[in-house]
Amino acid sequence: MFIPLTSSSKKRHPTRGMERSFAADVHKLTLGVGEAFHGEVILALTKALLQAGVAYVGGYPGAPISHLMDVLADARDDVLGPMGVQFESSANEAGAAALLAASIYYPLRGAVTWKSVVGTNVASDALSNLASAGVLGGALIIVGEDYGTGASVLQERTHAIALKSSIPLLDPRYNMPRLVELTELAFDLSETSRLPVIMALRIRAIHMTGSFICKDNRRPAYSAKNPYPHALRDYGRIVLPPSTYAQEREKYEVRLPAAKQFILENALNEHFPASGRKFGIVMQGGQYHTVMRGLKLLGAADTYGNSDIPSLVLNVIHPLVPEQIEDFMRDKEHVLVVEEGNPPFLEQEISAMAQRAGIRTVIWGKDVLPVAGEYTADVVRAGLAKWLEKIQPFQAGKTAVLNEEKLESQAKRARASLPIPMPPRPPGFCVGCPERPVFTALTLIQRARGQLHISMDIGCNTFATLPPFNLGSTVLGYGLSLASGGAIGPALDQPAVVVMGDGGFWHNGLLTGAANALWNGHDAVLILIENGYASATGQQHIPSTGSTPWGTPVRVSIEDTLRGMGVRWIKRVNGYDLAETRRVIENALDARGPHLRVVISDQECMLAVQRRAGRQQAEDEKLGRRFSRARYGVDEDVCTGDHACMRLSGCPSLTLKPTNEPLSDGPKAFVDTGCVACGLCSEAAMAARLCPSFYRVSRVVNPSGWERLVHSLSRKFVNQMGEA
Amino acid sequence: MNDPHPVSLLLGALGGQGGGVLTNWLVEAARLAGFPAQSTSIPGVAQRTGATTYYFEIFPFRNPASDPIFCLFPSAGDVDMVAALEPTEAGRALEGGYVTNQTTVITTTERVYSTAEKSIAGDGSLSTVPILEAIEKTARRLVRVDVSGSGKQANARMLGAIIQSGLLPLTAQDARQAIASVGLAVEMNLAGFESGFDYQSRENGSNGSDSPVPVPNFDAAPPGFESEMNEFPESLRWIVGHALARLVDYQNEKYAQNYLARLKPVFAMDRKIGLERNLVLTQKVAQRLAAWMSQEDIFRVAQLKTKKGRFARIREEVGAKADEPVKVVDFFSPGQVELSSALPLFLSRLFSKRIGIKSRSNFALHLSWPTSSPLGYAGLKFLSLLRVIRQLSAGFHKEQQAIQTWLEAVQVAAGVDYSLGCATAELAIWARGYGDVRERGLACLDELFTDWARRLRDNPEAVSEQVRASLHAARYDPDNQCV
Repeated sequence: MFIPLTSSSKKRHPTRGMERSFAADVHKLTLGVGEAFHGEVILALTKALLQAGVAYVGGYPGAPISHLMDVLADARDDVLGPMGVQFESSANEAGAAALLAASIYYPLRGAVTWKSVVGTNVASDALSNLASAGVLGGALIIVGEDYGTGASVLQERTHAIALKSSIPLLDPRYNMPRLVELTELAFDLSETSRLPVIMALRIRAIHMTGSFICKDNRRPAYSAKNPYPHALRDYGRIVLPPSTYAQEREKYEVRLPAAKQFILENALNEHFPASGRKFGIVMQGGQYHTVMRGLKLLGAADTYGNSDIPSLVLNVIHPLVPEQIEDFMRDKEHVLVVEEGNPPFLEQEISAMAQRAGIRTVIWGKDVLPVAGEYTADVVRAGLAKWLEKIQPFQAGKTAVLNEEKLESQAKRARASLPIPMPPRPPGFCVGCPERPVFTALTLIQRARGQLHISMDIGCNTFATLPPFNLGSTVLGYGLSLASGGAIGPALDQPAVVVMGDGGFWHNGLLTGAANALWNGHDAVLILIENGYASATGQQHIPSTGSTPWGTPVRVSIEDTLRGMGVRWIKRVNGYDLAETRRVIENALDARGPHLRVVISDQECMLAVQRRAGRQQAEDEKLGRRFSRARYGVDEDVCTGDHACMRLSGCPSLTLKPTNEPLSDGPKAFVDTGCVACGLCSEAAMAARLCPSFYRVSRVVNPSGWERLVHSLSRKFVNQMGEA
Repeated sequence: MNDPHPVSLLLGALGGQGGGVLTNWLVEAARLAGFPAQSTSIPGVAQRTGATTYYFEIFPFRNPASDPIFCLFPSAGDVDMVAALEPTEAGRALEGGYVTNQTTVITTTERVYSTAEKSIAGDGSLSTVPILEAIEKTARRLVRVDVSGSGKQANARMLGAIIQSGLLPLTAQDARQAIASVGLAVEMNLAGFESGFDYQSRENGSNGSDSPVPVPNFDAAPPGFESEMNEFPESLRWIVGHALARLVDYQNEKYAQNYLARLKPVFAMDRKIGLERNLVLTQKVAQRLAAWMSQEDIFRVAQLKTKKGRFARIREEVGAKADEPVKVVDFFSPGQVELSSALPLFLSRLFSKRIGIKSRSNFALHLSWPTSSPLGYAGLKFLSLLRVIRQLSAGFHKEQQAIQTWLEAVQVAAGVDYSLGCATAELAIWARGYGDVRERGLACLDELFTDWARRLRDNPEAVSEQVRASLHAARYDPDNQCV
């Protein structure tokens, strides 16, 4: 006997609207020469692309560059379109990279963006082929290097991929005017070297604010408005032998040398000379500010970056220009290489250069700096102090060590003053999230049946691996959960049980997962969470959203696609109906056999629902229209404080409330005002037979006269019975 | 080196608290006022509930001859201000080494509990007191900001407090202009800003309101129990009086007498062995016994759900105006166990046998009960009145047996070792919750108390260890079957 709690949310996707709108900022993209731009790097980069005269842009969202896609989508109609710049929201990073094929033959500048290193891995097939064929028009790939604090992926760098494919790699100094300038120069570098170029930006850099003086935007020479006169073909650009042999030779004999020459002649790397001659620091451009702050705090530089120690800032970390590095090293006794991440390609290459050129400089690097992990200000400063102490024990080194010890002892004292560790606070599911009930159902199933090997995917669903759910054993990549269960199910005599979001499904899951499972006859249960967006990165639209990011109505149905492929067992559930969801998943688990079962939970991302509902309610309120507002609550005296509900629901709104009840064992459950009345807490309480503490309260605002009358009569009755 | 240095601010917040907007205001205020500044953040768009940090640097001189170099990372020992929209996030900054004697810390004091704290059965919540004390000890200055009830304005209030601290070269006027210029909910945020700004001017530093644990609120003993109450020392009268009041409300005076009869032997024993321990055994038993004896069975839940003033409280909670209809729906899922335990003992037995349902079957009603409607209310009221026959019910019978077993176990244990007695008293926390949770808890106790006296005699250390493990599991691993 189930009585639905929430009016099942009708699929009513907005025509457009990511979580964060840049619509108000888009006008900054049209600033003209001499005008000042103030804002975030995301927007500044877009402006730089327009100043460089791009003809087409594309990409796939992912932190930290998701907002770059949002900016482009918001700018599509008003800025990009009128200039003839084409924008595409690619299906995945491989699609974005393949877009750059337009620059192979035609004098078109193109830019694409994604999250690295994972996105670059996905794109690398296209990237390798592109780099081998070579480009005529400048091709720039802006990657968000998701490394260090705040990263959500495995810790690797893009560097290795750039090396193997001979793609010049920029790691620019984080100064906004310089960043904009280097973005524009990157296109020239690409055209000169005939290689695509990658620019990698770290998380903090992407979100950095700053200012620069604009140039006018440049219209692309060719576009839909002014098409290139004819199609071209040249077997030399096809990646088949013997062209490929020639291409490989060309990369190393012509293109990379041309890149090196360009880097040198246009001073892409920056040499900051100083009075000191014996020591020097070579660094990735992105480390410059951290190094300078470190030197300043150690007493070896001032606020403006003036120091006795000269530095060579490598805004291009591949290719290196041997003569530039050798010049810098020559006559120096010690050179420190500040290079974040692994392997330490710079340190290795620079050491090799020194050796080959017969330079006797001592090269320092990962011996004084940590091998792995983010190079934060504290980490770099400690390394610098160690280095200075080793190379100059009596002068600068001594001051540095004293300063460092002072800072560290203060920090140590601070840490020691705290009697207890602070609770971890990882990301989690939002209030009202439609994914949570699915994981509640899986938790209940595991409690009843024992632990299953659940293959998880990338996206919000990955948060289910964290408390309180602690679900899932493996994460192999975006859209790869279904494929990753292939050999696990048979080995454990369970069906492959996999969770995938709709973002993952379109990114890779359809072919690599579903087609593969069908083809190979996998005994698999795919729990597909279709919330309508790539939600984790900010609700970017995907093929099944219902519209493109810029509002054109297009919907590719996941269910129809699967049916068309021949999946017979597909059930849709409303995740908030916990009992039903649980029952359907259990049915899917029990329908053993060499076929794919798909359970689609299809409730829309609550953030999107709330944004719409909020607007509607504000309007209703203003116009005095009738509406009702619901939320859940807990009766404090009924709650026994064992918090089983919180371990099953994980709702941020379901929280603790200290109590003054002497018989209580700790704080009670409490639903705070953030509640959006999704009803999972009471559903979980019912499904797991936890407690009768929850109630749903709905309040009618601007009620009709009739409603008022009925209400007051019923209140009188109830009061008569002793309520008040 | 007399070198002007940027002023740095590290902001700690939780996803969704508006830290990004606060940072935007600072950047915009700096721009409008003409100071070089830079901000960055580690928000990660998906991290809606996790900890996020924002970092802001401002150079306190206009139009410097050359550009100061800003950093994207805070440096330990070089942070001028830490602002936190949640007190443990201020603690996290301290943990990271960012709070030193040059740092001013501005923090809200209202807790937002983490999943780790919430997941523990019982009290897993962290107190802000030691955190704020540690900050006070370490920081140059600690400023508490009250944002309770300010909802979405919390960030604007924090901006007020930040500007008011005078550490940044920005004035209130700069901040107001920035709020207007950023253009988000300007009126509301300006109001929030002013309240944060003024609040600080009135109340610098400590306001002594950090106590997160409310003082227990004891009900007075019901009339007619004066002589019994006098048998207990002052220190026990609070809890015993409260317990008696609860049990009279729960059942009747006779039932409350029953409570006393159960407590007295423990108290008598405690007076012999527990005087120097302040009768903590009696204290514990008095509390746990009362809680157990007033276990929330079907009748009790009906009674609480129809308690006088409940709807008024709920109306207030949702801010309903006098004429606005408010509907309250309660959710019940009595399983076979609850239903049959409400029946008289013989019927219940018959019921189980006849129907043949095992006691751990999945059968349960799922009721969405319209308590605020006359009919819904009447139904629950009727059920609550049925509590007069509670003592005939099977469930009552079962609970009383379990209580008896526990009480005996406590006394036996206390005879062997006082601390073990106290710990055994604590074991009553297993008798909690409803449905499966309760069944599991009672089963744990049942298992633990089997052959208790003999095991205690033979190997008290092993039993102690079992009790300790069981108490730990009750808090930290409550969803698994007991081992």
